[in-house]
Amino acid sequence: MSAKQGFDLSVEASLENLHQVRDYIDRAGESFGVDSNVLADLRLVVDEAVTNVILHGYDGRSGQVELHMERDGDAVIIRIRDQAESFDASHVNAPQLDTSLADRPFGGMGLFLIKKLTDEAEFLSLPGGGNELKLVKRRAIP
Amino acid sequence: MGTLNIMVGQEQGNVPVTVLRVEGDIDASTHTILEEKGSEVIAAGASNILLDLSGVHYMGSAGFRAIHAITNMLDNSESVGIAKSKHLKLFNPSDEVSRVIKTLGFDSFLDIYRDRDEAVNSF
Repeated sequence: MSAKQGFDLSVEASLENLHQVRDYIDRAGESFGVDSNVLADLRLVVDEAVTNVILHGYDGRSGQVELHMERDGDAVIIRIRDQAESFDASHVNAPQLDTSLADRPFGGMGLFLIKKLTDEAEFLSLPGGGNELKLVKRRAIP
Repeated sequence: MGTLNIMVGQEQGNVPVTVLRVEGDIDASTHTILEEKGSEVIAAGASNILLDLSGVHYMGSAGFRAIHAITNMLDNSESVGIAKSKHLKLFNPSDEVSRVIKTLGFDSFLDIYRDRDEAVNSF
């Protein structure tokens, strides 16, 4: 993880820990002075990303999810790491937002939110195995 | 662990309305609680549901999955094409939840009310 000052969290990859992840984002974001609307977006995005790691990355297997949140000027950088199978974001379909609710298939909204609510979302395969999702939100801190 | 509590009530407008008051966080660990409660009240005869989101602190896409599933149960035999659900409506989401509703485009398919009487009488 980066040597820059920031906040770290490591949790077991379980849906039961999602609230802990959101609390972590809240505490770190408040410490940095992140705008409340931006913080709400980041809370949502990180929750969605970690949910995807748990459900699709580890797919029921045990593992850890590591988060690191740091400030870079008025931007916030969040890194989410796992040791799951390599993830290819290009294979996920966008949600069909302009179709009737009755006709929409489930799923796809998480990745859509991640890309819509951050300025950068970069998926990396780690050399030793696993993945890192790097999220950047600029002008997050007034 | 995130918690979700749902209270069921009945109101009478033009038609009987089942009100589900939800309190807590609706995420991937709790959304099935909402979906199951929706299924339960529909099985018991509910055909119009007002989802009171006043007590919801956080809702992610999993929450919309549950709402989507409930609208499918209610509207399955009706509406063709892009139309707002006639049988499930939302009441008083927080600003944060409202932002997510708008981002996902669910405000195009679900009516949202801030006045409870207006909500109940809208069915």
